[in-house]
Amino acid sequence: MMMVITCTVFIIAILTFYIWHQVEAVRIGYEINRLEEKVQKLKIEVEELETTKASLLSLEKVERIAKEKLKMVKTEDNQKVYEDFKQK
Amino acid sequence: MSIINQRKAHRRISMMAFLFMLWLIFLIIRLLQLQVIEHPSLKTKVTQHNQNKKDIIPKRGTIYDRTGIILARSLPFRSVFYTPNEDESLESQLEKIQTVKSILNLSEREFQRIKKRVEKNVSFIWIRRKIPPEKEEMIKKLSLDGIYFLEENKRYYPHGKRAAHLLGRVDIDEVGASGIEYSCNSVLAGIKGEHLIMKDAKKREYEFETLKEPKDGKDLVLTIDETIQFYAEKELEKAVRESGAKWGTVIITHPSSGEILAMANFPNYDLNNLPRSPTVVDRNNAIHHNFEPGSTFKVVTASVALETNKVTLADSFDCSQGYISVAGKLIRDHQRYGILSFPEIIIHSSNVGTVQLSHNLDRDSFYKTIKKFGFGKKTGINLPAEEKGIFRQVEDWSRISPASLSIGYEISVTALQMLQAVNIIANDGVLVPPRIVRRVLNASSKSIRNPLPSLRIISRETASILTSILREVVQGGTGSPAQIPGYRIAGKTGTAQIFDSSIGSYSSEAHIASFVGFVPADNPAFSMIVVIDEPVGSYYGGEVAGPVFREISKQVLQYLKIPGQKIPRKNTIVENRWRLSD
Repeated sequence: MMMVITCTVFIIAILTFYIWHQVEAVRIGYEINRLEEKVQKLKIEVEELETTKASLLSLEKVERIAKEKLKMVKTEDNQKVYEDFKQK
Repeated sequence: MSIINQRKAHRRISMMAFLFMLWLIFLIIRLLQLQVIEHPSLKTKVTQHNQNKKDIIPKRGTIYDRTGIILARSLPFRSVFYTPNEDESLESQLEKIQTVKSILNLSEREFQRIKKRVEKNVSFIWIRRKIPPEKEEMIKKLSLDGIYFLEENKRYYPHGKRAAHLLGRVDIDEVGASGIEYSCNSVLAGIKGEHLIMKDAKKREYEFETLKEPKDGKDLVLTIDETIQFYAEKELEKAVRESGAKWGTVIITHPSSGEILAMANFPNYDLNNLPRSPTVVDRNNAIHHNFEPGSTFKVVTASVALETNKVTLADSFDCSQGYISVAGKLIRDHQRYGILSFPEIIIHSSNVGTVQLSHNLDRDSFYKTIKKFGFGKKTGINLPAEEKGIFRQVEDWSRISPASLSIGYEISVTALQMLQAVNIIANDGVLVPPRIVRRVLNASSKSIRNPLPSLRIISRETASILTSILREVVQGGTGSPAQIPGYRIAGKTGTAQIFDSSIGSYSSEAHIASFVGFVPADNPAFSMIVVIDEPVGSYYGGEVAGPVFREISKQVLQYLKIPGQKIPRKNTIVENRWRLSD
């Protein structure tokens, strides 16, 4: 009788483990899928931000802000001094 | 139990057994029907329900400038489409389309196109492609049956108008239609892949199987420098607007490598917001417009004369009349010069002197050298539909042809060809073909057409003499508006009348003004050509194109950190020998 009970418990345990394993595999599958999608989305977001950065650093915009907002002016030829640091 | 009861029970059991058998037979038949007869169609239905095949759109390669700045990139965008339902009434379907129409601001014409397709029960109908994310959200909230979204990519140009003609455009399917986008489409485009998506009973996607791996397009690095391109475009726009010209073009190259640092055109267009007729972007006047160069071509004439020893620096030419007759036609200077030395006819751009010089030239040598300079054939740059110019065979020349050619008429060139010719002088006599693609990232070098090999065209001595002469053109000749204090600049002006086919002769009002040169003259960091078409008012190359050359050069020299040189004026040969008529 004990033998039968032990075997039954053992079989139930194996079956329970098998079912748990299957469920867990499916769950992890979903998780991997979700994370892969997240990685892909983040990659796209990085690319979008890089492109926005390139657009914001466009030289027309930089020049316009320098002139209009920061009131910067261009240097005249006689205001430029070139130093040869190699010789110094 | 009585016999009667036994019989009754037996009959009931038989009936039960019969009914059970009947039920069993029914089950077997039904099983046969499902598993054998209807199996293929049912399997298809299940597959449709649980599995889905989806295209994997490859990402089109990014285009960078030589410093790594993004010039063009594809970003994901959603497209909205409609799948008609056969069981739904037409009115109900059109009502849904009407709702979407108001969100997407579809025109009546677009709505009618969709309506026709719904009536024909077409299974897949585009409503609008590549819509903004906020519009997508608005449509999604409505949960309209039959309205779906598909992920696609949209080309985005962060700098809008910058290098528009050079970069070109793509069509709605992201296929290159002009410029680099077209010529390098096979490298940039990539190859579509395919996914098999498995779904569970709740239609949740739980497994992806890649049936075909997509191949993303490769990234390109151009030879363009975005900052230099900006300077060129800014100054060109200013010049074209101020002079009231039709259009203008500027090309800047690094002579010893042939790399193009900038290729600007004006008018230009925002690639993110193309005009109604996008083909206007396709015409890149730097390589697509043939024009008679006029006096800039005198550089080639002088090269031939020096290379064939038909002239020495001491030779002089009588230009005192201000005109010369060739085969019954008069060729004029814009002023009387007196007696000019060989260098002076180039410095002052005397047509009369140059025509006299051409009388000494052998036709065949003249023809062959012009050919060797690259005229009448494509430069081989990796851009679509490059023009090769118009240069007739020597057999087709008339009596006046050598004289006309010597001053840049009877030949049509592109701006790039003219710059390539001057680069030969900048490179001590060696032709280095121009190139626009620096490298392809993550690819073998074979994926892009390699430029042609370098060739010696004229001797080092000839190139050196011509450089000295061109330096004097800027120092004290027609090119003086291009001067930059402290820098040695070699250059040549060009002012050509435009042939008016309606009157069958050259127009006295329409001109092409140009300036071509390189800086610093003795060790060129860059060379440049400026072409301005039909300026109003002043039309001389020196006056219209020269200042553009100067303004761009000043900024590029500062950007490249090239300091000014000390110019030892007394050591120049012009100071001692050429300034005869001053």
